[in-house]
Amino acid sequence: MVIFVEYAFSGLMLGIMYSLVAVGFTLFFGVLNVINFSHGDVLAVGSFSALIAYVGLQAVGLDLPILCFIAVALAAFVVTGLLGAAIGGGFVVPMRNAPPINVLLMTMMIGTVLREVIRLGYPNGSNPKAFPALLPDTAIEVGSVFIRLDSVILLGLGLAVVALLDQFIRRTKFGLAIRAVAQDGETAQIIGIDFKQTILLTFAIGSGLAGLAGVMHGVYYREVNFSVGLLLGVIGFSAAIIGGLGRIWGAVLGGFVFAALQTLWVILFPDLSGYRDVFAFAMVIVVMTIWPTGMMAEMRSERV
Amino acid sequence: MFSKLRMPIVIAVVGAMSVAGSAYAQETAKIAFIGPLTGGNSAAGIGGRNSAQVAIDQANANPDSKYKYELVALDDECKPNVGIQVATRAATSRDIVAGVTHYCSAVGIAAVDVYHRFQLPVIVWGAILPAITYGNDYAEIHRVNGSMLDENRVSARFLTEMGYKKWVVIYDTTDYGKGHLEIFKKMLADTDGEILGEFGVGSDQQDFTAELLKVKQIEPQIVLFAGLTPLGVRIRSQMDRLGLDIQFAGVSGIMSVSYLDALGETSEGTISFHNGAPFEALPGGKAFVEAYDAEGFDDPAEPYGPFAYAATKIIIDAVEEVGPDRAAVNKAISATKDLPTIVGDITFDDHGQNSVDSTKYVAQDGKWVRWEDSEYASGARKLKGQ
Amino acid sequence: MKNTNIILASILVVIGVPVVRTIVETENQVTLIGGLVVLVAAAIALTHVPRLRAATASLGGWGEGNFALLAAGGVAVALSMFEDHFSLLMLATVLIYALAAMGLTLQFGYGGVINFAGAAFFGVGGYTAAVMSDLPVPSLIVLACGGVIAAVAGALLILPILRTAGHYAALITIAFGLLFQDFLEVNEALGGPQGLKVEAMELAGWSFNNSLAIGSFQASFFLNYALLALALLIVAMIFLNRINRSWIGLSLDMVREDETAASAFGIDTSRKRIMAFFLGNGIIGVAGALYAMMQNFIAPNNFGFGESLQLIAIVILGGLGNLWGIIPATIIIMVAPEKFQEFGEYRILIFSLIIVLILRFSPSGLFPRTMRSYSHDLERGQ
Repeated sequence: MVIFVEYAFSGLMLGIMYSLVAVGFTLFFGVLNVINFSHGDVLAVGSFSALIAYVGLQAVGLDLPILCFIAVALAAFVVTGLLGAAIGGGFVVPMRNAPPINVLLMTMMIGTVLREVIRLGYPNGSNPKAFPALLPDTAIEVGSVFIRLDSVILLGLGLAVVALLDQFIRRTKFGLAIRAVAQDGETAQIIGIDFKQTILLTFAIGSGLAGLAGVMHGVYYREVNFSVGLLLGVIGFSAAIIGGLGRIWGAVLGGFVFAALQTLWVILFPDLSGYRDVFAFAMVIVVMTIWPTGMMAEMRSERV
Repeated sequence: MFSKLRMPIVIAVVGAMSVAGSAYAQETAKIAFIGPLTGGNSAAGIGGRNSAQVAIDQANANPDSKYKYELVALDDECKPNVGIQVATRAATSRDIVAGVTHYCSAVGIAAVDVYHRFQLPVIVWGAILPAITYGNDYAEIHRVNGSMLDENRVSARFLTEMGYKKWVVIYDTTDYGKGHLEIFKKMLADTDGEILGEFGVGSDQQDFTAELLKVKQIEPQIVLFAGLTPLGVRIRSQMDRLGLDIQFAGVSGIMSVSYLDALGETSEGTISFHNGAPFEALPGGKAFVEAYDAEGFDDPAEPYGPFAYAATKIIIDAVEEVGPDRAAVNKAISATKDLPTIVGDITFDDHGQNSVDSTKYVAQDGKWVRWEDSEYASGARKLKGQ
Repeated sequence: MKNTNIILASILVVIGVPVVRTIVETENQVTLIGGLVVLVAAAIALTHVPRLRAATASLGGWGEGNFALLAAGGVAVALSMFEDHFSLLMLATVLIYALAAMGLTLQFGYGGVINFAGAAFFGVGGYTAAVMSDLPVPSLIVLACGGVIAAVAGALLILPILRTAGHYAALITIAFGLLFQDFLEVNEALGGPQGLKVEAMELAGWSFNNSLAIGSFQASFFLNYALLALALLIVAMIFLNRINRSWIGLSLDMVREDETAASAFGIDTSRKRIMAFFLGNGIIGVAGALYAMMQNFIAPNNFGFGESLQLIAIVILGGLGNLWGIIPATIIIMVAPEKFQEFGEYRILIFSLIIVLILRFSPSGLFPRTMRSYSHDLERGQ
């Protein structure tokens, strides 16, 4: 029972990180019908810009962990937001009339460029880097369940961010514009919505979320490396798809489902733990066969 | 920037002087370096390449050198097909005399046939799969670093004698991790230790909490990790996150400065092993460190850098002795016996393998300290579960 | 009409052979960049200058005489390298990857079935060759088996692929590709992460590892593989060309462009997609088996996601569905990273930047496929 709680908790942590990545995929797809595969590597950029911001703060002598966390997260959000808008505006929007697979290939290559830039540009970047413990990591022991405080905070923050995004899209004017573009770009333009601006905003927000996920990743694992985005990108994409492209809560569901699949496999077959991704991806194929457009089916009228 | 330029300028000046002095141009001998310069293992590859470059630059700066040397660095991406491609490129270009080749075992084993076919003498500087030297009778293949056999013999014996009898092994599912697992199991069978669980993990896996929670249930006395630094860092730090207070040990793949830097205090007490003695203490070791620093590289030499350096030096010595002829160079390399180098005395056996005694290390105050010199051996500090 | 085509083709071969040779052989960066610039400039000229475009537009309608020209050109390039092992290895690699790219072209250039697991099917072919190494089976049969087993392995995915479309289908193949590589690494039966040795090709009792000798000249044994790969590539191209020009090709176009309309016209869209997927994987499998025999060695990390991307990049740069574009595209994708060795750790960065820029400024690849036109003569009259 005790161990079950710990498994469930670690599965949830994994799930929220996958979800934050998946939400970005879903947002981009919603407004522009494209998959931006550089998204995973944007996350890595987020982790590293947080790291640089932290070193900078240390240099000016700011040493209050919580304040540091907020500043560092903000830095990651802004950097990745701008980067995302640049990728969207400079590369994806001009490609929107090309075959979708070309956009897929191009964004994958952009991802490779980002990854290599981190590896070659950050000092000794091919090795893993320590990420500072910015949140209090007091151990909470209830009975014999062992959980650290920062994990709980991160999980709460992650869920709050998704909920906030949901509210943003439902209740604000920008959100309305995003929804309008997602439903019908041309009509949206006719009624006076700035198409390009809305797209860029969406890319900025989606990528900013990946930046936040990068910070979470760093704080949780205490380590970042240039290639984190490689697998996280594919998993985030899978999660967005099994949830149903274009739906925020679908992406979140997909993230948790994927995490659950991986965790379950190791619990059930510890001796075959090497097969966990084989299993998870096989299940993705099965899920897709059963629900060809995702578990929360894509509905044109209700995208984003 | 200037420090980067200084060495080449020195070399150029010295080179020019020696050319002027000898009145005729020196013949150039090319030496290939092959290793991963891109991708996940590039830190080791770049460190190796730089170290080999140091040996080349030293030879070129030496006025007594009969030849000029040039390093042809090739990237094998740690992929066998690319490895075969670049091995063919090196082996079939006539002006390349010999090669310092491969960090990744799967690439090393794939390429040996190519070197044999085109008769290019090579010295392996990092790949540790035993079959690279022992799986064939090719006279062209040599290796300065030890194979996995010795290291695992030492780790199994040493740690079971310390009282760690119940083991969990986590290995990455590449040839490196898996190879270690197989050999370690054989070595452990000779002791009274037993393995309670084995977990295979992907080489780019991030999250190990599910595996580690399972380890928590199994309650071993020690966790051994067979794989490279990035994964070692993640596993050790996630053990801490989950409150697993169990002794941690890793194969030579984690014994790097990056492991200590990335973990900080959490690294304290990690046991690891390395081929050969600490090179700083050996003849030429200090000079190597200084020369490496003087070149102003962006990246550190990494644990296997000294092996690439030693291998390059052996080739240069052979060329100086017999001239840039492959067959003669190969003979000269194979005859290497009790040669003092920065990685210890090198002798190639009839398979071209150098036998290396593994050294035990422990992480103490953010440094890798030889076990015998550590406060853990003297009893001032205690490992977990002791 | 035929005459101008043959003249154009001859010019292409006469210019193309030395350019290809230079790109593959040079170790000089300036020459290499020059060669690549010529290649890209030619691509832009062929697709953007109206007259040339009109001429290339009829490439799709080229007679089979042009394949003979390609064969002649290929043999000329190969023979000119005669003893040079490494250049021939690169040439053979290019030809084998071009062959695999033909399979992908059939799948999503023609049939619109996305396949992000090209390297996995390439790997199935390779592993088939490795497993059959010990059996007393003629090599050509091993090649064929590589194709058949790859096609059969693809059958696993037929149901999910038929049920999904667009990005959803892309994910299925991505998942399969990842799963395949993981499986090979974890599983011991097929050599595990260390890989397997593969026997060399043998034709009529004559091992490809022996070299051809003409007089006192000893050819590189890679020449054998280059010539065989060239032959297979041309057979595949003729096959695809015939499909494209037949009713099947026409209905594949329809299935790809508008599935609903296609089925409204009574085309069995599922059957067409299955056929394209099945045959495409077969071609990729044959290429994989040949590649494994040439390398004599295979391991799981030769068949990962990155390698699948390489194949896709070839097909896209070549202009989705354009058979002739594949050859220069394969040269760029396979040879450029090798030539960038001089840049050391920066080579992948430079290579990916170039691909990004090409796609950014020529979103449909270097040689976009032209629409089917039934009024060549009209166009030419203008």
